[in-house]
Amino acid sequence: MSNKLSSSVPTDREVVLGILNNSDDALNKLYVGYFPMILQFILNNNGDEDDAKDVYQEGIIVLYNKIKSGNFELSSKLKTYIYSVCRRIWLKKLAQHSRKTSNIADFEDVIATEDDVEQHEEKDQQFKKMQSALQHLGEPCKTIIQDFYINNLSMQDICEKFGYTNTDNAKTQKYKCLQRLKKLFFQIDLK
Amino acid sequence: MRNEIELEGIIEDYLNGKLTEAETKAFEQLRLNDPSVDHKVVAHKVFLESLRDYAVTLDLKGKMDEAHGHVDVDTLSRKFRPHPSFVVNIWRKNKAALGVAASFILLTMAMLYSIQQNTEQIGSVEQVKRDLTSLKSSQSSLIRKINSTANASIPKNERPANYGGTGFALTANGYILTNLHVIEGAESITVVDNSGEPYKVRVIRTDSQYDLAILKITDNRFKGLSNLPYRLKRNTIGMGEEVYTLGFPKDDAVYGRGYVSSKTGYNGDTTQYQVSIPVNPGNSGGPLLDQQGNIIGVISAKQNQVDGATFAVKSKYIQEALNSIPNDSLGNKVAFSKRNSLQGLSKPKQIEKIKDYVFMIKVYK
Repeated sequence: MSNKLSSSVPTDREVVLGILNNSDDALNKLYVGYFPMILQFILNNNGDEDDAKDVYQEGIIVLYNKIKSGNFELSSKLKTYIYSVCRRIWLKKLAQHSRKTSNIADFEDVIATEDDVEQHEEKDQQFKKMQSALQHLGEPCKTIIQDFYINNLSMQDICEKFGYTNTDNAKTQKYKCLQRLKKLFFQIDLK
Repeated sequence: MRNEIELEGIIEDYLNGKLTEAETKAFEQLRLNDPSVDHKVVAHKVFLESLRDYAVTLDLKGKMDEAHGHVDVDTLSRKFRPHPSFVVNIWRKNKAALGVAASFILLTMAMLYSIQQNTEQIGSVEQVKRDLTSLKSSQSSLIRKINSTANASIPKNERPANYGGTGFALTANGYILTNLHVIEGAESITVVDNSGEPYKVRVIRTDSQYDLAILKITDNRFKGLSNLPYRLKRNTIGMGEEVYTLGFPKDDAVYGRGYVSSKTGYNGDTTQYQVSIPVNPGNSGGPLLDQQGNIIGVISAKQNQVDGATFAVKSKYIQEALNSIPNDSLGNKVAFSKRNSLQGLSKPKQIEKIKDYVFMIKVYK
């Protein structure tokens, strides 16, 4: 009868443990399991497939961060939580684009998730700022920063990769790059 | 510049916990003494954290994009896209409620099925009986087969009547309405009034569509009736309306009481009501009256295998049948009585008045 979640959905426990253990498989199952629910909601409320993808991914990020932060309690079903978060995010987006928001067609129960969504919005702001700063940083700085801070390469590796004569040069380059990134990051004022 | 780079290196090592214990102690002392160093540590920490958050989120997005690739978005969105049809939208929005309703219906059907299962044997017994009496319809028409042995009460006939039914007066001058299946194939028909007086009748008109037949008393002994006490109800009546009938399942009139259980008859036949009323073979052709004594239909059949499902042709079609009779064949009086002298009377009083207008019909084949 219910065609909402046709694919097999992992249990809530599986998901929480999987995410805490950085299991890609759990993330995959979670993603595939609940996407139809959000797609249905967005499609029936003035959105398209791309909106659904964006909103759903944001929703999963909220859940992911909440689980990772350690203060996640299963006070409701994951399904309800995801639905409520995505719903909240979508309603905000609709309001931002001053699209029609009356008559929301609901498909699931809704719980209060305002705090989580607000927190996420701040983080999302930071993410976008960083993304934009890195884009403006240019090469080779972007790759050096990413290799050192994100991919955790050693100064020695970077030295070899970029052909610096010694690690001191590489260190100086990295320092300059980071200074510029900081400058860009704090300058960017997102609308 | 050199110092700055050195300092940043130390700060990073400090934040990553790569300094030795002594170095950590010394550095913390430096932070306490020099607020500008302390500020740098904090700022660097915050910045590195947001850089790490960025990395984590980017990684997560990448994984989700990969997962998204496994989702068949087209098929799903075709399924969930708001349907232009109102009905489908209703279905989607009220799926849960409809689901409950559907399961309820399923359950009911399962129960009905089991009842059918139980009555299957009885049903087949009735089938045999129908074969014998050569009634082919799946509804058992309510013609009473009169046993020749039980026929002692009508000594006037040389031959015993084979079938019996009920009819009622349409006009005061001897037109009688009954079911077509009661008189079909009859060699001769006799009606018997409440006092047991038999009269010869002639078939004036038959209407196979509504299973109605109009007879006319041709006997010279017939003196005519006084004005009809009942009236034909033109509009249909609602479910739950209490109704009653008078018929001849035996040689004396029998009163039966019930209610309209559905506005349609067998298999959704809109020309009939379904009435929950106990009837037996012999009731066919009997009038169905409401509480005010208006005629609302003609008892015509009951469904075997189903308890209390009797079908009655709606009064509207009686009027139609009446209207379709050419005026001359009815004399000049086709009009049904417009007055209803039964209104407000108690049930026994009503029946007392009606019984003179209800006839037993005896059919010889």
